[in-house]
Amino acid sequence: MIYEFRLPLIVTQMTGATVECLYAKPGDSLKMGSKLFDLSIDLGSVFAQECPPISFFRVVMREAAWLRKLDLAPGKFLQLEEEIAIFSTSPDEDINQPVTRPIRTTVAGIVHHDGMWTGSQL
Amino acid sequence: MTSIELHLGPLHAAGYNILRSGVRWLFDSGHYCRPNQIFAYCNITLEPASGRLSGPPPFAEELELQIAFASRIGGRVSANASTARGGYLSVRTVDVWDPDTVVASIEPDPEAGDPVGDPSRLRLLALAGRRMTDLAVTHSGLLPGWHGRSRGWWCEAGETPVTLLSLGVCDAAGLVQGEDCAFSDMFEATQTAAQMVYIPDHPLAPATPLLLDQLQRTPAQFDAIAADLKGFFERSTTPPTPNDLIFAGTVLSVMQRNPIRDGYSIFSANGLARLGPADAVLLSLAVEPNSILRHRKLGYPIHIMRHHQAAAGPAFKAWLTESFEPVRRSVDDLKRDYETLIDKIARTTGGRVIILNRMSTSGYEDVSSYLPFDAPMSETLSLVAAKEWNLMLEDIADERDLDIVDVDAIAADIGGGEHLPDSIHQSGLMQTLLRREVLNYLGNLPRAEAPLAAVR
Repeated sequence: MIYEFRLPLIVTQMTGATVECLYAKPGDSLKMGSKLFDLSIDLGSVFAQECPPISFFRVVMREAAWLRKLDLAPGKFLQLEEEIAIFSTSPDEDINQPVTRPIRTTVAGIVHHDGMWTGSQL
Repeated sequence: MTSIELHLGPLHAAGYNILRSGVRWLFDSGHYCRPNQIFAYCNITLEPASGRLSGPPPFAEELELQIAFASRIGGRVSANASTARGGYLSVRTVDVWDPDTVVASIEPDPEAGDPVGDPSRLRLLALAGRRMTDLAVTHSGLLPGWHGRSRGWWCEAGETPVTLLSLGVCDAAGLVQGEDCAFSDMFEATQTAAQMVYIPDHPLAPATPLLLDQLQRTPAQFDAIAADLKGFFERSTTPPTPNDLIFAGTVLSVMQRNPIRDGYSIFSANGLARLGPADAVLLSLAVEPNSILRHRKLGYPIHIMRHHQAAAGPAFKAWLTESFEPVRRSVDDLKRDYETLIDKIARTTGGRVIILNRMSTSGYEDVSSYLPFDAPMSETLSLVAAKEWNLMLEDIADERDLDIVDVDAIAADIGGGEHLPDSIHQSGLMQTLLRREVLNYLGNLPRAEAPLAAVR
């Protein structure tokens, strides 16, 4: 079976999210609890101000799957509902077949850390 | 109902003539104003009556001085056009303050209750801004320009304002400064004599290690800090840009001040007076970082929020990278810093600490199991950290005089997604509720009963 991950609505006012760091790559066998990536959501475009209201989130697997497609790099901006990753239940399934359902994940607010894209450009 | 003329009312400053500019209006004539809503303002200067000064004038550092006006009753306010001089005469102080001047008239709202005080006399909000640099000259609006400290005070004859010093980030700034950044929301929310003081969170963010360091720093230590920074710029292979020099100058300017020990000159219907250090200091738990930069050689801490670091040039950033090391802070470290600061403030100025706690829940999270997250989870999960930190404040409050404004509970009650979407920046309703909490705490503080000492 083929699963997908699309950027979900994490905060009501968000228009998208920025990739902060990646923990998995295509071909990886991921277990329940495996980290996928960290994202940041900047509501600055919604609330115009010089103090950017940025929050950080981690996406974690809630079921086992093979990560088959992930074309991301830190700093990339993702649109809401944009397809971000494709998973399969076995390592060599054809990923061009129809998606069965969204992958089950958990999204949790996290503390900023040194491995993030935000803050690394200073 | 009969229209009531609104007079300036008395203001005194012994030894000085109080001059004002033409009146500038915030609304069109005929606008409905709530009781105590600011509707107009003018600039103020205090000119020595004798033409000579024996010492520095009481507001020498505060080049922005204004008085804003509100009616004590609600109704439609009509401007007295003759008080709006226009052009530079509405910027420069050209008229002597005359308590009998009629600024406006009001058609009172028939539904309005009885006003506090004489309805024909305006309520006055005095505003003062100490510029971050004397070059930060702006003529437009209430408290215009870039200030290292701004404040607003109000009192009636015979009253002494209680002072609240805001040393937080956006969560504290919003509720103290209000939407117009000129304290008018606080002014409207209470008629008790008060002074609100706001110190911005840039360039240095007011984390507890910095506040402690500022309380204890000697002039010799400051000189060593300044010499070290200048020395780095001189030997740096990256030549300092204008942004570096402006940023460095601002940092040094802020570092040599000590807002918790600051006293305040005021003028009012009671005349000139000098207030001591703040009666209460408002802090934000949200400003505390998990790790803080410490100078490798001199040992002092520095905390510049990421979005403010962007204003520095390459040489200043290189100085931060080379001269400082990050130091992790545990919850115990935070607790110890707060306890030391609370004790130090109580001992040094007698001031009490009020603190805003952190939002610790989110309707957006869907964590069904915490197994994927390593212990201690507070080092990864922001809401777990917020819960631990909030509990840490409760532990401190059990043993020390600390007033906690429960942002966490209020946001959860009215809806965090709507009113505190990023856990820091509040809606107007949320600010109103928090303001009420802070004013309740201020109301419990002891007030000076004796008349204030005159400045001169």
